Amino acid sequence: MKDKKSYEVILFKAVSYALKAEKILKKEGLPHKLIPVPKHISSDCGVCIRFEPEIKSKIEAALFNKVDVEEIRTLEN
Amino acid sequence: MTDIKIVDARGLSCPQPVVLTKLALEANASVKTIVDNQTALENVKRLADKFGCDINVESQEGGIYEIQITRGADFDKNQDFSTSCGTGAATSGLFVVVFAENKMGRGNDELGAVLIKAFLHTVAGQAKKPDVMIFYNTGVKLTVQGSDVLDDLKQLESEGVQILVCGTCLNYFEIKDKLAVGIVSNMYDIVETMSSAGRLLAP
Repeated sequence: MKDKKSYEVILFKAVSYALKAEKILKKEGLPHKLIPVPKHISSDCGVCIRFEPEIKSKIEAALFNKVDVEEIRTLEN
Repeated sequence: MTDIKIVDARGLSCPQPVVLTKLALEANASVKTIVDNQTALENVKRLADKFGCDINVESQEGGIYEIQITRGADFDKNQDFSTSCGTGAATSGLFVVVFAENKMGRGNDELGAVLIKAFLHTVAGQAKKPDVMIFYNTGVKLTVQGSDVLDDLKQLESEGVQILVCGTCLNYFEIKDKLAVGIVSNMYDIVETMSSAGRLLAP
């Protein structure tokens, strides 16, 4: 698998927040990927946004006060 | 012992050795089935067990097995027996995934776009990859520049998954020059691939 490096994921309370966040990140040109919430975090059919740790502060700044973020977690690989 | 019915099932693939053996057993008390592979041997043994028959297997040279089957007293030819081949899902034929739309499911397009991304991300991470993925109608939009799933598709392609993209569809949407992954295909290849699929998945 290509996913050898570690990633961070942003978890949201609802899919609509994830969509809103995705739109903002796209507009800002911040690389990210919408992925299913990893099974070990939740077995719900949810989506979250994955990004590389290096841009964490930029991502946080972009979403601050715009989207309700539940949690940002580090994904172990 | 009376006449033995010989079933020569060499060169035949599942489920034929089992089907032929079962037919022969319905008409004869004693059957000898000859097979040329382990899978057929196991399948015929399973059939004999299920019907309470006595069996005796002789292994011959070249991977040939002669299976001597004798009907038991309570042989019931109407007993249910599935002649399914392999275990679990189909093991023969291509594993094909068809993308008829650029979203997953119907009802809400915004949600469908989210789901298709999650679907492809998950397929790309799965151990059992599809053999072929076919894209037509708005599905072709997933394969062109600007698509959010290009990375996953490129990864799948690099791992040997064949990606067929409907040329008529690219043409209709006027995005043929933007194709970023897979090969432009036609209805002949698409129909042939779908027809020879052992499993066809449509998200």
